[in-house]
Amino acid sequence: MATKNSYQNRIELVQGTLDMLILKTLQWGEQHGYGISQAIRATSGQALQVETGSLYPALHRLERQGWVKAEWKQSESNQRAKFYKITRLGKEQLASDYERWGKMVAIIEGIMTAERGAL
Amino acid sequence: MNLFFRRKTDLKEEIESHLKMATADRIARGESPAAARREAMREFGNLPLIAEITRERWGWLRLERLMQDLRFALRQLRRTPAFTTTVLLTLALGIGANAAIFTLVNAVLLKDLPVADPKTLVHLGNDGHDCCVGHNGTREEGAYSNFSTDTYQQLKKNLPEFEELAAMQAGWAYRPIIARRDGALAARSVMGEFVSGNYFRTFGLRPEAGRLLIDADDLPGAPPAAVMSYETWQHEFGGDAAVVGSTFRVNTKPVTVVGIAPRGFFGDRMAVAPPDFYLPIQTMASLANASYVNDPETNWLYMIGRVKPGVALGPLQQKVNATLQQAFATQSSFSTVNGKKFLPRVHATLSPGGEGIQTLQEGYGSHLHLLMWIAGLVLLIACANIANLLLVRGLGRRTEMSVRSALGAKRSRIVRQLLTESILLAGLGGLLGLAVAYGGARMLLVLAFPGAQNLPIEARPSFAVIGFAFALSVLTGILFGVAPAWISAQARPADALRSGARTTASATSLLQRTLVVLQAALSLVLLVGAGLFSQSLSKLENTDLKLDARNRYVVHINPQAAGYSGIQLGALYRTIEDRFHAVPGVVKVGISTYVPMEDDRWSNYIVVQNYAEAKGLAGFVKANADYFDSVGTKLVMGRGIDVRDTSTAPGVTVVNQAFVQEFLGGENPIGMRIGAPDSPGDFEIVGVVENTVYTDIHLKNDPMYFVPIMQRPASNKDPIEQDLSLYAGTMVLQTAHPINDMEKLTRQTLASINPNLTVVQFQTFGEQIAVQFTGQRLIARLTMLFGALALLLATIGLYGVTAYSVERRAPEIGIRMALGAERGGVVAMVMRGALIQTALGLAIGIPVALLCVRFVKTQLYEIASADARVMTGAIVALAVATCVAGIIPARRAASIDPARALRAD
Repeated sequence: MATKNSYQNRIELVQGTLDMLILKTLQWGEQHGYGISQAIRATSGQALQVETGSLYPALHRLERQGWVKAEWKQSESNQRAKFYKITRLGKEQLASDYERWGKMVAIIEGIMTAERGAL
Repeated sequence: MNLFFRRKTDLKEEIESHLKMATADRIARGESPAAARREAMREFGNLPLIAEITRERWGWLRLERLMQDLRFALRQLRRTPAFTTTVLLTLALGIGANAAIFTLVNAVLLKDLPVADPKTLVHLGNDGHDCCVGHNGTREEGAYSNFSTDTYQQLKKNLPEFEELAAMQAGWAYRPIIARRDGALAARSVMGEFVSGNYFRTFGLRPEAGRLLIDADDLPGAPPAAVMSYETWQHEFGGDAAVVGSTFRVNTKPVTVVGIAPRGFFGDRMAVAPPDFYLPIQTMASLANASYVNDPETNWLYMIGRVKPGVALGPLQQKVNATLQQAFATQSSFSTVNGKKFLPRVHATLSPGGEGIQTLQEGYGSHLHLLMWIAGLVLLIACANIANLLLVRGLGRRTEMSVRSALGAKRSRIVRQLLTESILLAGLGGLLGLAVAYGGARMLLVLAFPGAQNLPIEARPSFAVIGFAFALSVLTGILFGVAPAWISAQARPADALRSGARTTASATSLLQRTLVVLQAALSLVLLVGAGLFSQSLSKLENTDLKLDARNRYVVHINPQAAGYSGIQLGALYRTIEDRFHAVPGVVKVGISTYVPMEDDRWSNYIVVQNYAEAKGLAGFVKANADYFDSVGTKLVMGRGIDVRDTSTAPGVTVVNQAFVQEFLGGENPIGMRIGAPDSPGDFEIVGVVENTVYTDIHLKNDPMYFVPIMQRPASNKDPIEQDLSLYAGTMVLQTAHPINDMEKLTRQTLASINPNLTVVQFQTFGEQIAVQFTGQRLIARLTMLFGALALLLATIGLYGVTAYSVERRAPEIGIRMALGAERGGVVAMVMRGALIQTALGLAIGIPVALLCVRFVKTQLYEIASADARVMTGAIVALAVATCVAGIIPARRAASIDPARALRAD
């Protein structure tokens, strides 16, 4: 992944997929920023570590675009935290992101597995 | 802003809660609290930077997008310099012309006097031309704005509704004073206004230095005091503090300057040359030898008062009228049986006083309003032009929009982008327009008030004008940016991309054609206007004034202000004649009270002896023997005034032909006697002269009579000192050939007679006449300018539409030509399109123009309707412009290569 001292780059690098991952995580239920990062890490089998430097800008961008809604609540450990919840628009966005992702994977897969001379 | 801070603390809290949870998790996993916190922080990363990047998601997005749009818009505008230049020029001229005129209108017609609380000031009367010194006679409609000192005092005493009621000299502009600082050599002819003692208090003013006039200054016998205007103090005396308290010679008599009026105060009315000095009314009798000051029946004052809070104007109007009627009741004109009938009608209409006496406004108002209309029309044409250009451009970019839309750009973003472009254009145009406005207003001021110094009108556009210009330009931008943007955004990308240039957007094209027709119609109206005003001006300038201005110089003098008393005048005039005849090249030395084509005059009520019906007002001029020759007035019968007609010789007069016609029905007048109604035999008519035009060209056939300058009516038993008609106002010098340093020679010669005898004004006779046509010339030039502008704009508009339609129809024209259409046929087809639009424009414009003539008729000289010459001229100009606009695209159409045009898509 990107170098450690350039958060700006990292946002750019994972932007498309990070949005999708966050939205997917939120589809399971509302969650705060720390919870989201923990959830992504857990479901990816510790493989994906979402940097806070990418996570929070992404969350706020999603909020701004109306794909998630935020609300202050008490967490299970009785800590006041800002909980994010996916909106209807967010769900649509997730579906279209996921579809595009699928196509992209298929296309890349096609290129990677193409036989030479098929052109 | 609040939202911004709330988000900032909100984010801080969010991060803190993240850290707490992370720390708690670590503690749960067995780390020490301190290490857990440290590690959580480390894991989180650069806290302030993350916070900042996160915040950016909110803050700057909109601004960023705007900057993107602006950058893109600028790039687009740079890519099409011809379009951009045309639009900017159109806007700059359209908005500039409007803002310039509005600046002037704002400054002249709408501006309040720079005084305290102008809203509570009331002018008693509503006529700034009810001037200047006249006997209080009966009037049919009973409206008065000009009053005697006595009437003023009665009103002041009997109207407690006024906190202050001030009076001011109506005709000071016609009676300059001569002022010289004690000890200084040069005397100057300057403007002085005689005002009541409470004048400055009424306006709520504070002195710049020293003190202002007070009631005690305006008492009979008070030591003469004067207040100097700030501008005079600065320009003539460099703001010298010693001026306050120093003695000046006003008309040779000592006066103490007690203070300086506040900066920016230009008196109670707008004037081309505002007063340099303000003097108390009661000093006028001695300073200006004006006996009428205390004559209860001579009107010479305007009145402005400040009403007390809560006073209703309705009842006050009633009371003012009643008080006036009371004051007039005892006067001679109203005490006769006949005069009494007029008394109930006597009134002074109360009008707002905050803008001062409206003399200048009444003179220029109609011109300015007309100019506003014209500038408005030009703006309309400019807007139509811009609408057209934006439409054409918007349609031309349909493919681009389709591509952007196909690539995923939102409709709202495209519309916003196009709007940004048009508003940017409009804004830039507005800025340029302001520059044009500034220059234009200056030019207008110079044209309208040539040679004016200390003019209290600024060319600098005020905030109101800047706001007006920008509102106008942004409105234009939005209005005409939206339509093409909307049309472009409506386009279904796929359709637009597929059909390319072959779509016909008939609704748009109809809109464009309508705009062009409208432009043509408006241009015609303006061209007809320009033609009419030019014709009017040329008629004015070519009118036979029955005078000769060649090698003649008009010198205004003021022997009264120079200190001459009535009995010294005869000797003075003889000295002037002798000294000037001694100047090489001088042929004639005319001396008179008034000269032809001068905006002041003196009229008397005259009767012819033994001729009951022959009575009425006649212009009255006193003159010396050389006078008629010096101005070029020709004698038609009898003799002129000659050297024998001294003060002791029998009273004689020369009348003009109009007098003979009007008073005597053309009968031979030689030997008849005329005079005032109470002494009809004062003067014997000895000659008849041509109708040389005095005062105003509109009075070119006014009856006049001329009397030798030193002769007084035998019936006049008043002391000679009170006879103002003995004082000459002008000399007319006729020379054998043009003399370059005539002004210097004149000043020297006069100064050698008496240093106080200064030149009030020196002009060639031609210059003096030309000044009378300033207003007409201004209107004629500006209508010409605006007419040309309108024509240019309409031509550009027509060209744009025709060029666009040729471009759009290129494939169609290609097919026609492939099928055998001749080049000539194609040219004719395109030209026909352009000409039809112009013809439609004419069909609308001609009746409108004919209708409009009615509204400007009063401002035209001897023109009642648009004649064939003006009409033909305007139509031909428009037709030629149409041909020019049409021929370029037509030739391009004819040069279309069928094969290429067909292959293009």
